[in-house]
Amino acid sequence: MEPIITIDRLTKYYGDKQVLKYISLDIYPGQIIGYIGPNGAGKSTTVKILAGIIQDYEGKVTVAGKDLKENVMEVKKMIGYIPELAELYDLLTPREYLSFIGKLYHLSDSVIEERSRKMLDSFGLLGNIDQRMDSFSKGMRQKVLLTSGLLHNPSVVILDEPLSGLDANAVIMVKELLQVLKQEGKTIFYSSHMMDVVEKVSDRIILIDKGNIVANGTIEELRQNTNDSLEQIFSKLTSGGGYSHSADDFANALNDK
Amino acid sequence: MNKFFLKLVMLPSGIWRGMGADIGQLEAILDIRLKLDDRKPIPIGRQRASKKDRKNGVWMNMFISLIMGAVYMTPVLAIKDRITGLTVSFTLFLSILTLMLITDFSSILYDTRDKYIIVPRPVNDSTIVLSRILHVSIYLLRVMLPMSLPLWIVLGMKDGWLSAVIFIIPVLLMVCIAVFLVNSIYLLLLKLAKPERFNDIINYFQIAFSVLFFGSTMFMNTMLSRISSDSMIDNSVVDIAKYGWIRFLPSYWLASFWSLIGFPAKLPGTQWLSILAVVFPLVCLWVLIKYLAPQFARKISGIDVVAAAEHTPVAGVKARNSKLYLKLANLLNKNDTAKAGFIIAWLQTSRSRSFKMKVYPMVAFMPIYFTSIILQSEHTSIADIWSTLVNKPNVIIFLLYFNSILLMQGITYLAISDQYRSSWVYYSAPVDTPGQVISGAIKALWIKFFLPIFTFLAIFVMSVWGVHTIVDVVLALVNITLFAACMVRVTFRYLPFSMQENINLGSNRVIKSFIAMVVPGALGFGHYLAIDLLWLKLLFLVLSSILLWLVWDSFTNTSWDTIKKNELE
Repeated sequence: MEPIITIDRLTKYYGDKQVLKYISLDIYPGQIIGYIGPNGAGKSTTVKILAGIIQDYEGKVTVAGKDLKENVMEVKKMIGYIPELAELYDLLTPREYLSFIGKLYHLSDSVIEERSRKMLDSFGLLGNIDQRMDSFSKGMRQKVLLTSGLLHNPSVVILDEPLSGLDANAVIMVKELLQVLKQEGKTIFYSSHMMDVVEKVSDRIILIDKGNIVANGTIEELRQNTNDSLEQIFSKLTSGGGYSHSADDFANALNDK
Repeated sequence: MNKFFLKLVMLPSGIWRGMGADIGQLEAILDIRLKLDDRKPIPIGRQRASKKDRKNGVWMNMFISLIMGAVYMTPVLAIKDRITGLTVSFTLFLSILTLMLITDFSSILYDTRDKYIIVPRPVNDSTIVLSRILHVSIYLLRVMLPMSLPLWIVLGMKDGWLSAVIFIIPVLLMVCIAVFLVNSIYLLLLKLAKPERFNDIINYFQIAFSVLFFGSTMFMNTMLSRISSDSMIDNSVVDIAKYGWIRFLPSYWLASFWSLIGFPAKLPGTQWLSILAVVFPLVCLWVLIKYLAPQFARKISGIDVVAAAEHTPVAGVKARNSKLYLKLANLLNKNDTAKAGFIIAWLQTSRSRSFKMKVYPMVAFMPIYFTSIILQSEHTSIADIWSTLVNKPNVIIFLLYFNSILLMQGITYLAISDQYRSSWVYYSAPVDTPGQVISGAIKALWIKFFLPIFTFLAIFVMSVWGVHTIVDVVLALVNITLFAACMVRVTFRYLPFSMQENINLGSNRVIKSFIAMVVPGALGFGHYLAIDLLWLKLLFLVLSSILLWLVWDSFTNTSWDTIKKNELE
């Protein structure tokens, strides 16, 4: 099977600081990829490059056989990007916002209307379709954002911390949604801190630290015959497991004598 | 400099303590706020500064303040009577201070950022309110000191060094009057309004006040220039008693305060008013702290709270494709990208606080300006005004061109949004030519803000001067649109609502602003010269139309390489 996303020696500098160091990856269609790493590891940069937002990188990225730099418009049409923070024009109503986004993806008014209603209904937000989003909770905004990212029926879905701010029921719903999208043959690139969710939903987990890939495989492969959880594996690989000592030191700082 | 101002406002710390503030906390909060401002200054008006030229910006601000101060000082030079001269000057100073407070600094007072930083700590309401008020006062003092410098010099030269020394007192009092008065109004609004609607209410108050400011400035100018010209014509002392209403102006109280060092006030029995100059700000402050500050923190915490409930009844949710803006978007734009630009501009211009704040007062100002153009003659009866108008074809030019200001203001603020980060969608969506988004947005702005007023003016012009003026109407329409297109092409190639308030518009901003003032004037003047020559107007129209087509096409094709971006990260 041909990979749908190929990343070859991807490098990115911010000024003198190298945030991605020759990353190479193949991602196959219909997979859910869990992309994890500590803060500042380069997760968001990778995600923004894949979404076509950052274009000045070195190395080669291809999506469905198309070079991202040379065919950025075609690639963007295939990708649905849902960013981490619910940054949206919240003075608009979901209906207005989705109509704006739909136009950017060249969807007709009737398609936008029909899909928006159905998708918002499944999130339980149809009743709020004509309310301004400035009064919405973080979870409600995140649901609108998810809808806006999937409105054009992308074949690759890139999610950056999609569960932040969602309540337990919504988390279950999104996890199920990921499975449904996977069954439809969509590829999901899932960047997150929430280890337990990543462990459960991902077909493959990629762990990035200081701009390098330090682990890449299924959860079983990462465990290497131990019974460690993903959280423990993460801690070992990114900090040498030294956080329990740090916690002790921190608590001891309060003892003045 | 910060240390000096901090020490200055902490001088009456006994009073602050008496009002219930914790002095240690107050000083700590002010200190940290001043430090933060140094690192990210509050934009004053359209002042923008990048890190590099922030230093120059400070000097530039000082220089602008100095120039403004020199202008505001002229009544003291021109009017022989010191009290009258000072009253006029102080009125000008107080007006600009109040306007600055309302438009630029009001965010300090009801800033909700420290909701999670200061409100959870054991800090009482008096301390929080005082910290905000003193913070604003420091800002105003910074502006006021260079601004009042020319007046200090003139007073020193005219009335001796002692007058220059004690002039600091009216300057401080003036800042206090402006700050305490405006803050009292805000706190009163906060007390009366529901917190979640406070932002909207403040917004409408700001718009209403700006309009009131423009209107009353025009009125005051007429009144004061009458007083001034009385004085300048016969070069005598003004009989201020003729103008009894003046005793209600805080600027007169401040001026009569001057009488204490040897310039007796001419309004009989009004010397006691100088006491008001001191008492009034103190009373304002006392009312503010005593009655309005309690529960301030609780109210502030209520601003921006989540109000909508999930799972509200589905009833009434229908497919609504019949909205006017969608119809217009589809009708006026060829491609989807431009339609998206049209939609976002149409909707956001009705809701964005920063846009409404800067552009709506201008909309409200249009009728005031219209009336002032029409009524500029000495005639009082409508029939007289009408008959003189018909004989003055140059008024057509003023009427048709003046609302170009509104379009310019709209274009300037179309790119600005508090939620500029939400513009990531343009970058992740398959937008090939971002110029198309801008073109759609400009169309929305043109249709929504410019066209209705222009249509009204066109009907007015044609009904007064005859239907044949339709050539002038069309020419003005094309010229103004051409100018707007040039402005977008040269200066404002930003995606709608994608930029932070303090963007750096480049070092040649002054030149660009100058062009923005001169070009419509020049086009209008060209039109004026051609007003009696139909063939010349038609030629002008053809040329302007061709140019408009070229310029519009040029900015519509703006690529990603030339678009002006904001740093999203």
